[in-house]
Amino acid sequence: MVTESTETPTTCTTAITASNVELTYADGTHAVRGIDLEIPRGECFGFLGPNGAGKTSAIKTFVTLLEPTGGSVTVNGYDVVTDSRAVRSSIGYMAQETSIDTELTARENIQFACEMYGVPRSKRAERIDDLLALVDLVDVADKQPSDFSGGMKKRLDIATALVHEPQLVFLDEPTTGLDPRARNRLWEYFRAINRQGTTLFLTTQYLAEADELCDRLSVIQDGKLVATDSPDALKSQVGGDILELTIEGSTADHRAHAQRVARESGVFADCTIETTDEGIAIASEHARREGTDLLVALRDAGLTVTGFDVRSPTLDDVFLAITGTRDVPVNSQTQSGNIDERSSGNSRAQPEALAQDEVDR
Amino acid sequence: MSTTDTAERLAAGNSFSVDVWVTLKRWLKKAVRNASIVFEALLSPFIFLILFTQVFGKLAGGPIQDLFGADINYITFLTPAIIIVTAMTVAIQSGTGLIQDMDSGMFEKILVSPTHRGAIFLGKALADVLRIAFQSAIVLVLGYLLLWIGSGGSVGPYIQTGLGGVLGIFAVVIVYSLWFTAFSIIIALVTQDIESASIWMYMTHYPLLFSSSAFLPISFLPEWMQVLATVNPVTYGVDALRALMLGQDVLSVINVTAFSGIWNTIVPAIVLLGVLDIVLGGIAAVLLHRVSSSQVD
Repeated sequence: MVTESTETPTTCTTAITASNVELTYADGTHAVRGIDLEIPRGECFGFLGPNGAGKTSAIKTFVTLLEPTGGSVTVNGYDVVTDSRAVRSSIGYMAQETSIDTELTARENIQFACEMYGVPRSKRAERIDDLLALVDLVDVADKQPSDFSGGMKKRLDIATALVHEPQLVFLDEPTTGLDPRARNRLWEYFRAINRQGTTLFLTTQYLAEADELCDRLSVIQDGKLVATDSPDALKSQVGGDILELTIEGSTADHRAHAQRVARESGVFADCTIETTDEGIAIASEHARREGTDLLVALRDAGLTVTGFDVRSPTLDDVFLAITGTRDVPVNSQTQSGNIDERSSGNSRAQPEALAQDEVDR
Repeated sequence: MSTTDTAERLAAGNSFSVDVWVTLKRWLKKAVRNASIVFEALLSPFIFLILFTQVFGKLAGGPIQDLFGADINYITFLTPAIIIVTAMTVAIQSGTGLIQDMDSGMFEKILVSPTHRGAIFLGKALADVLRIAFQSAIVLVLGYLLLWIGSGGSVGPYIQTGLGGVLGIFAVVIVYSLWFTAFSIIIALVTQDIESASIWMYMTHYPLLFSSSAFLPISFLPEWMQVLATVNPVTYGVDALRALMLGQDVLSVINVTAFSGIWNTIVPAIVLLGVLDIVLGGIAAVLLHRVSSSQVD
């Protein structure tokens, strides 16, 4: 079934071509429902979507872990079903949950990966040292990673995925569960790898991450791509930053009053102004500059503002803009498409922590 | 720098046999590294041998000399049983090691690499076989040491069948271990959970050991246990080893006379264990194929 391909992929300028890919699990769950995609060499491309949107299922069909039940995928010029071994040799993959052997030292983990991918013996030592340096683990190279921080483990994990200098690297939610500092550090490595010409394909729940890294991204929902564009273009659909105001003694009347004042204040006239549980929320490109003027206008109108927050658009906001619904099932288990086959959710990272970080940034 | 050229030069993948070797090396390295495995390997047979010989030695020594001859000590009688106990412990760890690999994501990491699928399991199986052979050797040496200490330096004949017998012991242990390793893998893949797999394994392990010829001659067991012992693979494994140690036909649960001497024990034991190996090994192979397959249905 697995055959060595004689044709070299150098002639191929697309990293991934997917046409009408479907993945239906044995229990009938439609995790991926017809994805079409073309990703050129050298790009950093992302899938942005909530848990259960089908991100992991889709990425697993691209890396040959799951055969698509419909459609076809070509990676680096090789078909994922008929030429899976050639695909495997040409890609690196970092799974959502950190995958390292804690009984081996950091160096041994990278060495095992070198041996597994057939990195020639003569090049191994140099390659291992280069990778340890790349991910800043030289000082702890001969320690077992059991005591490493989450960020260090992730860095070791990514190093093992790069041993064979793959042309294309898949990163499934690479920073979920990491603190902001560890996350920023990983982003630097990803950018460095991408600068060297490696195509990156990543999935993420966080707009900030997609924004930071991706040249283009697809918003994925219910196993379908609902929008594909550059991060800036997608964010512009939200209409700018989000200004959230908390009004004292917030009744429906107060909120309606505040909404009227905001609309009449001029600068926010054309913006989306929503009422929230505690006040109002405005999406505007001028949110940061003109926010204080609105405060004054509200005070003059006899309303007391007790909370004031300007933040960047989040995944929620992009979803609202693109799909017209704020019901992003970030934590819901209503879709079982994102089945994790290795564990029954023991060390699952909770997304709330990171969502909070996004606000802080 | 041309990334493409470098990538192709570096990502050659390996031949099947190299994949087996790479996998084998990793598991052996893990076994040596893992403190609890080293501890089990060296200490548990030692404790078993000492405890059993001290507790049952006086009691069983007489009847064993009546059954097998005046120069047969309880230590010599027990050593084959401890070899089997040790082999079964390694087999249990084989299944839990697989679950650990699945939990840690290493299993998936290997599946996404160009490593040949069959090599993943063959490499692991060979690593387990090597560990079992190594630990069996340790038990043999320990048994000899205990005899040496107990007899004040004059051990007399230990393995009656000589060097050929030693090789035979390793061969029997490996044939014996395969079915229990396969069983351990099946339990691991069915439960997918280290704790419940361990419970299942030890719940099988101990009743099997005690309802066999492992610790005492079959005639010492109550009648209903003698019936169990007749269908218990442990009996056949232990008796085949014991035949090699004592140089006698020791199989008493069924009476085979078609061959001569120790072969009346070894041939039926190997046949029975071989059939069990094929059946359980086949089931394990099907399950392993399923977990490493990329097909969703």
